[in-house]
Amino acid sequence: MHYPWWYVPFLTSPMLIAGVSVFHVFVSMYAVGGGLFLAAETQYAYKTGNRAYLSYLKDHAWFFILLTAVYGSITGVGIWWTIGLASPLATEALIHIFVFGWAMEYVFFVLEIASAFIFYYYWDRLNSKTHQTIGWIYGISAWISLVLITGITAFMLHPGSWPEDQSFWSAFLNPQFLPQTIARTGGSLLLASLYVYMHAAFRLKDKSLQGLISTRSTKPGLLGAILVTVGGLWWFVALPESAKAALAAASVLNVLMILIFLMTIVVFIMLYLGPFRNPGWITPGFAILLFTFGLAATGTGEFIREAVRKPFVVYDVVLSNQILPSEIPSLQKNGYLEGGVWTKAFIASYYPSSINPEGQINEAELLNLPQSERIKIGEVLFQYHCNDCHAAGDGYSAVGQVTRGWTPEMTLTLLRHLDQAHFFMPPFAGTDEEAMLLTDYIQSIAKPFPQGLPREN
Amino acid sequence: MMNMTLLAPDNALGFPAPYWFIIFFKVLGFTLHMVPMNIWYAGLITMLLLRKFGGENAKRLSDRVLNAMPVIISIGVNFGIVPLLFTQVAYYKVFYPATILMAWPWFSIFILLTAAYYGVYYYVVGLRSGTMTGIKYAVGWVSAISFMLIGFLFANSFSLMTNIGAWEGLWKANSIAGASLGTALNTGDPVLIPRWLMMFGLALTTTAAYIMIDTGFFAGSEKDNYKKWVPDFALKIYLVGILWFAAAGSWYFFGTINPAVRAHQLEGNFFILTALTAVAPGIPFILILLFRKSLTKLKALAIGLAQFIVLALNAISRQIVQNKELSAYLDVTGEKVNIQWSPLIIFLLLFVIGVGIVVWMVMQVAKSPKKAEA
Repeated sequence: MHYPWWYVPFLTSPMLIAGVSVFHVFVSMYAVGGGLFLAAETQYAYKTGNRAYLSYLKDHAWFFILLTAVYGSITGVGIWWTIGLASPLATEALIHIFVFGWAMEYVFFVLEIASAFIFYYYWDRLNSKTHQTIGWIYGISAWISLVLITGITAFMLHPGSWPEDQSFWSAFLNPQFLPQTIARTGGSLLLASLYVYMHAAFRLKDKSLQGLISTRSTKPGLLGAILVTVGGLWWFVALPESAKAALAAASVLNVLMILIFLMTIVVFIMLYLGPFRNPGWITPGFAILLFTFGLAATGTGEFIREAVRKPFVVYDVVLSNQILPSEIPSLQKNGYLEGGVWTKAFIASYYPSSINPEGQINEAELLNLPQSERIKIGEVLFQYHCNDCHAAGDGYSAVGQVTRGWTPEMTLTLLRHLDQAHFFMPPFAGTDEEAMLLTDYIQSIAKPFPQGLPREN
Repeated sequence: MMNMTLLAPDNALGFPAPYWFIIFFKVLGFTLHMVPMNIWYAGLITMLLLRKFGGENAKRLSDRVLNAMPVIISIGVNFGIVPLLFTQVAYYKVFYPATILMAWPWFSIFILLTAAYYGVYYYVVGLRSGTMTGIKYAVGWVSAISFMLIGFLFANSFSLMTNIGAWEGLWKANSIAGASLGTALNTGDPVLIPRWLMMFGLALTTTAAYIMIDTGFFAGSEKDNYKKWVPDFALKIYLVGILWFAAAGSWYFFGTINPAVRAHQLEGNFFILTALTAVAPGIPFILILLFRKSLTKLKALAIGLAQFIVLALNAISRQIVQNKELSAYLDVTGEKVNIQWSPLIIFLLLFVIGVGIVVWMVMQVAKSPKKAEA
């Protein structure tokens, strides 16, 4: 509304954020847990004088840098790219609230990058004490980065008292901050163990060293699983009421919650029975299976975290369709098309006769247009008001599919009471005339009622 | 004021820091970003050309620069975050619309960057293990071209940010029901090509300065023949860079930018800045010319610092031009300020501590024995 909307066919542009974010999290969590693992294990290897283990750790550090410093860093930047394109108002709001949070995080990111490269490239050239110190500089910086970013992402789910006092610290130290920090720390430790098993399974032939690695890295993995569970439960308790209601009401979230619960148990049991009790079990197949379960649990967790925020993208701050809650009354009174920078420009460009002498859109005039033109204006409303969460005819949560067989009256009634019919949807932020125009468009893309089903005439 | 209708309203929260603070970090970040970015932008393709067509010393130079390239890219990407962050704080009204209008090309940058970065690694792994193949060379070329394409896309987005008058036309031509298809490019803007090329010329000069630093600081174990050849070669590259920068810069400044902006840049103190920006590359060039026969670490450092000043002047001039171009539409300095004191102070403290830790780590590296002698 404030910005042009980016139309991505079939998928919707916010789904690109989900895609980039999930693939980033798979690596960014390893960047934290793997960094702590490398720091702790390098210290252990130096202390015990285990040259073979040191050699393995150097090999692992190369894999770690290739994955985290390249893919992890760039997908992190990729999230910036994508949120600015697909969710510009939310990004604008977050940047104005948290610019110094991100700036602080950036300091630690610089430390991470510098220490990671020095840790690996100067492996045999630094004395052992300095080498270990640099390893810990990396591990601690990476964890602090996680803490700082979690403060921001947790705010998106629960703004705490920020809406009242608009203080940075109220925003950062929000009710979701600690639970998510604990869960993410745990996830990082757990995922790092799974990465280590997989790397060791493919790269190591020495069974005794494999056994040592399995034993050493299972403990942080199990600790991680416990932290995920504790943080996850606390996360649930600290959720806003509407998010808890969404978890209970949306069948897809029910399924995903059960899945994440089951997958965490499976990973926990596999860790205990496998690497912890039977280090020899570490084979490429077992490691891949464990790793896949770990990634699936992480990805599911991220999806749930995103989904429960609805109808907001930043809870209580920006609605999922890029509207500020405070703007709704004015949009409902004066019109969504009138209130939007780009929607107004569209009407002014293509329907100049609908602009009154005061320069405002005459909505009654729009209803007098031919049906084909009403549908076109309805499509504009759809793009800007609905396409954040719904594809049009086909695709992600397509409106054309969910409105099969709806009559115009049903559609119009639903639009008028959108947030009452579905509490996880935002209210319709337009006038009654705009609801009629949107109805025209939705009717034009709605698929027919499926044949073979009983239907009331 | 024109086209006010396509600009978003002010953010109610206001700037979290004074405008000068935001712009200082934006310009500083961009200057720091330009150093490594220039080396991959023009340096990578130059080094691949040397590998393909050069003699023994040229090939050695190419291998040395490519060997350092993964770290250079990492530092460049890292430094690029700072100007991006502060651009979004102060220039959100133009940054988001411009990038959304060209969403797919803009989105493709991080995909291109990922591929180019891994491509460089693939090439370098081949170099280090002595297993260079035709595919690895080809991947190196794809990476170099990708980086140049990324530069083109950046020139597009940042020129479109100030080309607000073109938004409506691009939007109408690339939209469906008022929603952007994200397929626009700012190719109708006469500023685009000279701006892109001007940065390439500047990047050649930075590459030459980097070559001198590499030779002065890190090439101690290379053959004398190599150490004598490199400064002369750097001088040639720098000269090509200056000529390129002068040609593209003149085209940009005298042939394409808005006459009002040009007049502004030639008035009073701004004239001094514009003149300094134009002639500054002459200083590192003269230093390379003077020091090329007796290069020491101190002299190499002087060349590097002079080049940093060249880039800083360029970044400051670009910032002033950007504000002047936008002044017809909005006053970025006029927004409400609501300073977040405690996070700002903590950030500055952490910044100082962070720099201190980085300096400490670099000192440990400097004290470490050299690889061959270890």
